[in-house]
Amino acid sequence: MKQIPPATFKPRLKVLNKEQAWAIHTAALEILEKHSFTVEHKEALSLLDNAGCSVKNENQVTMPAYVAERALKTAPRQIVLYDQQGNRAMDLADDNFYYGTGSDTIFTLDVETGERRRALLKDVANFARTIDALENMDFSMSMSNPEDAPIENIYVHVFAEMIKNSSKPICFIADSGRDIKKIHQMACAVAGGEDALAQKPFILNYSEAISPLRFPANVMEKLLFCAEKKIPICLPSGCNAGGGGPVTLAGAMALGIAENLVGLVIHQLANPGAPFLFAPNVSILDMRTTVISYGCPEWSLTQAALADMRDEIYGLPIWAYAGASDAKTVDAQAGAEAMFSILTAMQSRCNFIHDVGYLEHGNTSSLEMLVMADELVAMARHFSEGIPVNPETLALEAIERVAGGAAGSMFLSDPHTFENFKTAHFMPKLIDRFRYEGWEKAGKKDMQARCNEEALRILSQHQVAPKTDEILREIDLILAD
Amino acid sequence: MSDYQPIINALIGCDMAKTTELVNLSLTQGIDAKDILNQGLIPAMDIVGQKMETGEMFIPEVLMAAQVMSSATEILKPTLAKEDSDAKGTVIIGTVKGDLHDIGKNLVGMMMESGGLEVHNLGVDVEPERFAAQVQEKKAGILCLSALLTTTMPMMQKTIDILKDKGLRDQVKVMIGGAPVTQTYADQIGADAYASDAGSAARLAKSLI
Repeated sequence: MKQIPPATFKPRLKVLNKEQAWAIHTAALEILEKHSFTVEHKEALSLLDNAGCSVKNENQVTMPAYVAERALKTAPRQIVLYDQQGNRAMDLADDNFYYGTGSDTIFTLDVETGERRRALLKDVANFARTIDALENMDFSMSMSNPEDAPIENIYVHVFAEMIKNSSKPICFIADSGRDIKKIHQMACAVAGGEDALAQKPFILNYSEAISPLRFPANVMEKLLFCAEKKIPICLPSGCNAGGGGPVTLAGAMALGIAENLVGLVIHQLANPGAPFLFAPNVSILDMRTTVISYGCPEWSLTQAALADMRDEIYGLPIWAYAGASDAKTVDAQAGAEAMFSILTAMQSRCNFIHDVGYLEHGNTSSLEMLVMADELVAMARHFSEGIPVNPETLALEAIERVAGGAAGSMFLSDPHTFENFKTAHFMPKLIDRFRYEGWEKAGKKDMQARCNEEALRILSQHQVAPKTDEILREIDLILAD
Repeated sequence: MSDYQPIINALIGCDMAKTTELVNLSLTQGIDAKDILNQGLIPAMDIVGQKMETGEMFIPEVLMAAQVMSSATEILKPTLAKEDSDAKGTVIIGTVKGDLHDIGKNLVGMMMESGGLEVHNLGVDVEPERFAAQVQEKKAGILCLSALLTTTMPMMQKTIDILKDKGLRDQVKVMIGGAPVTQTYADQIGADAYASDAGSAARLAKSLI
């Protein structure tokens, strides 16, 4: 009799139960009903006013719960991002997870000298090209806040660098409604027009409200622009426990979610059905140093909790972080903190996972850190696939051949091993498993040194699919404008 | 002679009720307000500052100690001679035009206040002209400018330019800070000082007075 193989269970992390998830959501709605938030934008205010919110003292708004609940119903449950050639690249929904870099570090660890120096435009290019080459990285962010770009057009310049040096989807930053238009023009040039871009978006905007409960004019401009053009947008706040929000994680999440709901409501009122990536950013303000930690266990907890709330309540794809550290160099702390957040973000099935390659709580970027994290994501992915259980993997025939076979029969030389070893085991590239003598002979290189070599190899060898001359000309025209 | 150790302990312990009780008790015992301040409260806050730097006290404890200090000083004020209660220096602080970020700047302000400086916090989105006018009006010795957004950093330069235009630049030290701000940028725009965190900003401000 043929047996039906059991479906493979994949390991999965849960942080909140149903009651906890609803308690946080209810608290978020109560915040919006009872405490006013500040919206510094006329059109956004009139949208809120017409939808049933109460607007007082020019820009102070309170929101009844039903207005937020309605927006949650019109926002799409899936956001599909394409690469710059129009191939489907990221299905942001359900259990799917994707990793990529972050934006705006002030410093970088120079890959040639190891020196910590101000970030430059060439670093934006180097990170984009490295992302393009790395198998486990799915999207680019600028990584750098370059010193050599004109400040008033800094985000237009970094976007152009990413276009020129990668084919993968891009998560971009803009300052206001002014530069986001230029960035959109560039993206249209790459996609082949505005309609083509709306059909197959390869860009996603990241903007931030200010905790507690403040929505500045420039941020609202970007939100409304993205809604109109159907550019996917993520609009969390920096609601870090003890800083922008209460020190306890549940309260910080409630406030951060309330802030996120305000963005979602304005966005859905402006254009129902436009794509919106859900999330608050809830890390902690470190009480010794006042830095916002990128290596703490709490941020991993709150985003895993949000993934539970997505499953239980929101149904919208979520924004998250991983592969970052508070360490100053790519040391043991960096490895430990990177792996902690990479694995937990994956285990809780966060969807859009950024900030890979950050050091020094987001102040410094490192190509070595990014290259190392790529390997850690591969390792975590292997773990997250679980243990496939079926006739092929139970391998009773192989056991029969070896156990009942001639003397000297062994699994190592069995055809079952030959056919399955590459998928049954994780095959590391940078993690070292040599015997001591082999490691010594290869130059006694530690992980940081091996990652440095790999980053330099990628930069010297990786070819990015070139953009046409016409696209490049258009990009340069927009830059010169 | 009196033993100020209980007051010092109460303040370091962030114990509002105990500290104010002991300060009131000392006054009724006829101890000079000036001595309570200089031998009790100020040495206690110095210890708090040291403990913050060594990581023995955390920021919320330091800020709570500062609030206790401020309440205790309020009790002493009516009996303190004018010259004893005067702040050591006046600071104007604010986030530059175009930037609405508040928290870091507020923390710096509180730390400076707990260090004995008189702090005027102008809030966020502050026009360069308003900074200059306040420097003039309050006769401030220090002006602190904060920016979290790279795109608003040029407003720091603009504020310094306006101070120059109004002939105020020589009478005030300009300190800058915020996530994208660096020492190099401070040098570039001719600011007097840069601080990377609230504790060092407060220390630096006191050294500039």
